[in-house]
Amino acid sequence: MSHNSGRDVLLSVGIDIGTSTTQVIFSHITIQDMSSGFSVPRFEIIDKQIVYLGGIHTTPLLSPSRIDMAAVRDIVAGEYDLAGVDRTTIGTGAVVITGETARKENANDVVHHLSDFAGDFVVAAAGPELESVIAGRGAGADVFSKDHSTTVVNYDVGGGTSNLAMFDRGRLVAVTCLDIGGRLIRVDRDRETVSYIAPKIKELCLAEGIRLREGDRADVPTLRRVCTAMTRLLEMSLGLTPKSPFFPRIRTEEDKDIVLPGIPSHICVSGGVADQIYRDQPEPDVFRYGDIGILLGQSIRESQAIARIARIVPNQTIRATVVGAGTHIAEISGSTIEYDESLLPVKNVPILKLNPAEEASPTAMCAAIGEKLEWFRLDGELQLVAIAFTGPRSPSFKQVGQLAQAIMEGAAPLLAAGFPLIIISENDLAKVLGQAVRAALPGQRGFICIDAVSVASGDYVDIGTPTAKGRVLPVVVKTLLFR
Amino acid sequence: MYQENDVRQMVRQALGELLAAQATASDAEPVLAPAAETAAGPAGGWTPERTAVEEGFAPDVTAISTKDEFHVPKPENREGYLAMKQSTVGRLGVWRAGPRYNTWSMLHFRADHATAQDAVFTDVPEEFVQQQGFVAGQSLATSKDEFLTRPDLGRKLNDETKALFARELPKNAKVTIMVADGLSSAAMVNIPDIVPAIKQGLKSYNIEVGPIPFVKYGRVGTMDDLGELISSEVVCLLIGERPGLATGESMSAYMAYQPSPERPESWRTVVSNIYSGGTPPAEAGAHVATIIKKILDSKVSGVELSL
Repeated sequence: MSHNSGRDVLLSVGIDIGTSTTQVIFSHITIQDMSSGFSVPRFEIIDKQIVYLGGIHTTPLLSPSRIDMAAVRDIVAGEYDLAGVDRTTIGTGAVVITGETARKENANDVVHHLSDFAGDFVVAAAGPELESVIAGRGAGADVFSKDHSTTVVNYDVGGGTSNLAMFDRGRLVAVTCLDIGGRLIRVDRDRETVSYIAPKIKELCLAEGIRLREGDRADVPTLRRVCTAMTRLLEMSLGLTPKSPFFPRIRTEEDKDIVLPGIPSHICVSGGVADQIYRDQPEPDVFRYGDIGILLGQSIRESQAIARIARIVPNQTIRATVVGAGTHIAEISGSTIEYDESLLPVKNVPILKLNPAEEASPTAMCAAIGEKLEWFRLDGELQLVAIAFTGPRSPSFKQVGQLAQAIMEGAAPLLAAGFPLIIISENDLAKVLGQAVRAALPGQRGFICIDAVSVASGDYVDIGTPTAKGRVLPVVVKTLLFR
Repeated sequence: MYQENDVRQMVRQALGELLAAQATASDAEPVLAPAAETAAGPAGGWTPERTAVEEGFAPDVTAISTKDEFHVPKPENREGYLAMKQSTVGRLGVWRAGPRYNTWSMLHFRADHATAQDAVFTDVPEEFVQQQGFVAGQSLATSKDEFLTRPDLGRKLNDETKALFARELPKNAKVTIMVADGLSSAAMVNIPDIVPAIKQGLKSYNIEVGPIPFVKYGRVGTMDDLGELISSEVVCLLIGERPGLATGESMSAYMAYQPSPERPESWRTVVSNIYSGGTPPAEAGAHVATIIKKILDSKVSGVELSL
């Protein structure tokens, strides 16, 4: 029966090119049929095991605004060799470019080049909010909140940014990203001077009345004042203290305000700075890493406001983001689906999402698909899109037929332009809908119809080649690509 | 020792006091409807002078799902408990009166039990069988009671039915879909969604399905009888499952390659838990079609079939 054969292990790679460090990990993602064997199969990801933790390498830069692509590639290739991993065996994974590095001129090139290099179904992902989510998951904040039925905030404080993700009983409820990090002020250890101050931190110093310029002596009390100001901004983002007028400036996406749905019950801190928060003895050499990371960590540790939230220890500190990228990016589709294997994999497919009003009736659905397809015209040319909706729970057979008809009529221009139909539903109906589409599609037109995947307007999706004997497809939903 | 008369006297006195107290209470109770006048005169020495008739009714205990019902008075974490309850239809957080459950829980339990009993004891309406265009037959059981008490009779088709099926159904069909009431007539609600879904799926493999036989008082074994009778390559039986306290509408699809009474039970492949709250019937039908195709391709079923 299905429970004997329904198990598969995917080798997954996670690569994080961060502000300060570049890291690689490999993990095993185990997919298993969790049904009794007497009912419809239900594949789930049941285990994520890290099988190789790579070294922590300094992110190589050619200039302050360019990443050294060749050097990054050498680091990654070296880790594959050390781990003994052949890139053709990689089943899934993600390359993320995070923090300040994501704003370098060639960030887009680097991440896409690396995802091609890393394996067939390794996605390139970026964006401050996605970073927050994967770091939170890599730190284990989502699992803790679910297991303890509580709220947990994870703050991933890295070199260039601080990424907040809040989970309520396993569910993501808030994300934000602040331009606060340990490497935004760098110190020349030989000359004991401040060698670099990030522009936004210069503004912060000005607002706080702290006199600090590049070339100044690296004066610990002054730098501590800067770190205290940074910590106060973190406190504001957590809703612990009223927001100052300067606060919006420090948000990575300045237009996106952050309001948590309540003060979280627990906090954990990950990222390179986190080690200073959880260690027993303060690091005596505060400029050990040539930046203010250690001072910032100490400042967060001493915050009276943050201490009001119960502190928990994350599963990962400096590696939270890379572990999140390697183990938490991939999802799997529902287990009763229809697809044509020759179409797979598909990458970077934009989502055309219907809202509840638009999927209320077949007529509305058909009209909405036709109308929204126009949004995806580039220079008058249609492009491949995936049509996504929630779908009815336990639909009647008649409803499924109407749904198939509405989709095919609405998507007629797409079909006329020669694109395959890609349908994504949240509720369990993909197999019967797919068969209805197959029955109605002219000729031997290929299509993909999957369910149990939740996407939003503006997302992009990658769908991988089948796993678990063809029952499920690995899926990656990317909330943001490069803007 | 009390004399019998003394006892009678004491009981009479106590009852009199009780009734007087009740009469006062009902006078003071505005929600009660006006008492009906009793026509009969005093009998047996005592009678209440007025009978209170209440027009109200208890709320429908089944209107709220057990997943959303929560009676713990001071929960430590209400949201957490409710979230946990969403993963089961088990009766969690129903609270208690001393060591027993509350009236509400007792009523809900009995209502669910009654639903299950109804599913078992109700017959599938003949209009439904006609409407679906089924070829209607019956097992060797001649009544619901016999069906329930004699499982052996429920597994065999009666002679009349055998003759009818032999006459009306195509021989050597690739696939035959059949339907039986089994232990839940309520499960027939899934038929209008699962049958066309199976047919649609099979059609994509260029497999057409003939008329559908229906067996009243039928158990799973009837598919072996039918398979042997008409030599169908695959038989797929849609049958009502024994109801639990969660639903009475659950259906199973049993499938076998060249079924016959000589085959062991392990020769059957089953997909269970088909209903709106489990695997949706339309989606299950699509899945069943692919399994049937796999059975046809590999010429085995049950535990020997690798899905």
